[in-house]
Amino acid sequence: MRGGIGARGLAGQRARREERSALAAWSERHINWLLVAPAVLLILAITVYPLGYSVWVAFVNFDFLIPGHAFVGFGNFAAVLNDPVALHSVVVTAVFTVADVGLEFVLGLALALALETKFRGRGILMAIFVVPLFIAPVIVGQFWSLLLQRPFGPVDYILSVIIRHPVTISWLTEFPWDFIGVILADIWQWTSFVMVILLAGLAGIPAELHEAAAIDGAGSWQGFRFITLPQLLPMILLAVTFRLLGAVNLFDTIFMMTGGGPGTSTYTTAYYLYQTGFQEFHLSEATAGSWLFLILVSAAIFILVRRLLKVEEA
Amino acid sequence: MTRKRGLWFRWRRYGIGRTALIGLFLLFVLFPLYWVAVTSIKPSSDYLAMPPVWFPAHPTIVHYVAALFAYRGLEGLLNSLVVAVATTLLSVALGTCMGYSMVRFGTGGRDLAFWVLSQRFLPPVAVVLPIFLLYRSYHLYDTRIGLVLVYTVMTLPLSVWMMYAYFRQVPRALEEAALVDGCGWWGAFWRIAVPLAVPGIIAAAAFAFIGVWTEFFFALNLTSRNAFTLPTVFRSFLSFQGAQYGESSALAVISLVPSIALGMLVQKHLVRGLTLGAVRG
Repeated sequence: MRGGIGARGLAGQRARREERSALAAWSERHINWLLVAPAVLLILAITVYPLGYSVWVAFVNFDFLIPGHAFVGFGNFAAVLNDPVALHSVVVTAVFTVADVGLEFVLGLALALALETKFRGRGILMAIFVVPLFIAPVIVGQFWSLLLQRPFGPVDYILSVIIRHPVTISWLTEFPWDFIGVILADIWQWTSFVMVILLAGLAGIPAELHEAAAIDGAGSWQGFRFITLPQLLPMILLAVTFRLLGAVNLFDTIFMMTGGGPGTSTYTTAYYLYQTGFQEFHLSEATAGSWLFLILVSAAIFILVRRLLKVEEA
Repeated sequence: MTRKRGLWFRWRRYGIGRTALIGLFLLFVLFPLYWVAVTSIKPSSDYLAMPPVWFPAHPTIVHYVAALFAYRGLEGLLNSLVVAVATTLLSVALGTCMGYSMVRFGTGGRDLAFWVLSQRFLPPVAVVLPIFLLYRSYHLYDTRIGLVLVYTVMTLPLSVWMMYAYFRQVPRALEEAALVDGCGWWGAFWRIAVPLAVPGIIAAAAFAFIGVWTEFFFALNLTSRNAFTLPTVFRSFLSFQGAQYGESSALAVISLVPSIALGMLVQKHLVRGLTLGAVRG
């Protein structure tokens, strides 16, 4: 009796061990895919599946109040394209993007050149300059609403002291000051992003190039124009595309500073889609709009990701 | 005398324009930070003073207390902490596995690399609606787990690519020695490669944490009364702005401290973190 149990237990143990070693061998053979699988499955579940689902949502009438989902074909897309607010929001987004990225590039490049040579205190300056990168954009929006507040914000006051004339700009509610205010907040946060990347690029330019040019009698402007700029170009493209893809999603500062207003004048595309989907609950229309937006920016995404891959493979 | 000459010398060498540019930008960066810090400790009667009060005569912490308790800032803080820590652990674990596999075995090749990297640039507004609709039906709406899943996917490209860049520098010979010793690939990965990659893992973790800590858009749309994070608390100051300068500033200060401190710790890896590992700083 006891022996029987013992024998059976032994056989079971052996079987289990064999099973385990077979599993170990299997997992050893497929380690490459097993290591990749969890991340891939999660991405599939959280972005690919919802995106696929949203294709269906974009072609039906999805409404919490109306039962059933009637197929409406391209109706939702047509509704977005015929909405003047949607088209206006694309223009607003383009204006913000060009202004933000353009100014951040010019200022970031100037700062990178100014900080290129080492001097005492440079490390501390750099540490201070990158602080805005670690702050939530929504809080940056709160910062600047506070600074630009009328009539008790300090910016109007400082300006009136400087020009010795009372300044009463309604930064958050009056065109074009609302645009300037939002752009200021964006520059405050992201200029150092461009600066940091361009500094890394400048550090990578071999000093011999400049030395050789100096021997050939090149001035500092020529050195900049014919050596620094072309050598820096890959980094410039990288920084600018990164910022472009960040700037087209402008939402947080708009939400805090203008709330899209006055009226709908500072609606960016992201803000418009948020309003349509989450405030007015035109879910299908917003989904269709999201797809149009995604298609609009996908070319930029494609180019940047290709570039990033090339850098990594080099 | 010599000191004066030294300063003048330096001034000339670095140029007036350069100094002015750096000085003005320094003011531009510092002033908002200063103003928010000062506003957070101003008594409410000082808000409406003209000219503005540059430093309050009687600093106070009442706004901190109000922001944390009356405006549910403490709950937001706790949610943010839980979500950020959980996301960081998950994202870095998955990123380390995937990065290693891509470096050592070339898993998935260029296509997989492209696909993972492109997730980083998917506009949040393009994916948030479908996620919202599915979360509602799977009971993930307004839960911390739901946020953690979204944030893990949001931070995965960075984790994967930082670890990819890091593992490329770990010499293969060490793992091959472990294989000869009969460790198997799992042993080589877990006992040799991962310990060597710890500095990279820490840097990736810091960036993941900061990314989650400062995120607003997903939290705004995927949570409401239960799982709301710290940034979304700022919503409650909007409807009656004006009166809540102190509370919103106090909450801003509370939120800034952890992410700035972490950012300073990983400054060495900043360029790599900002560019998904594409630029070696």
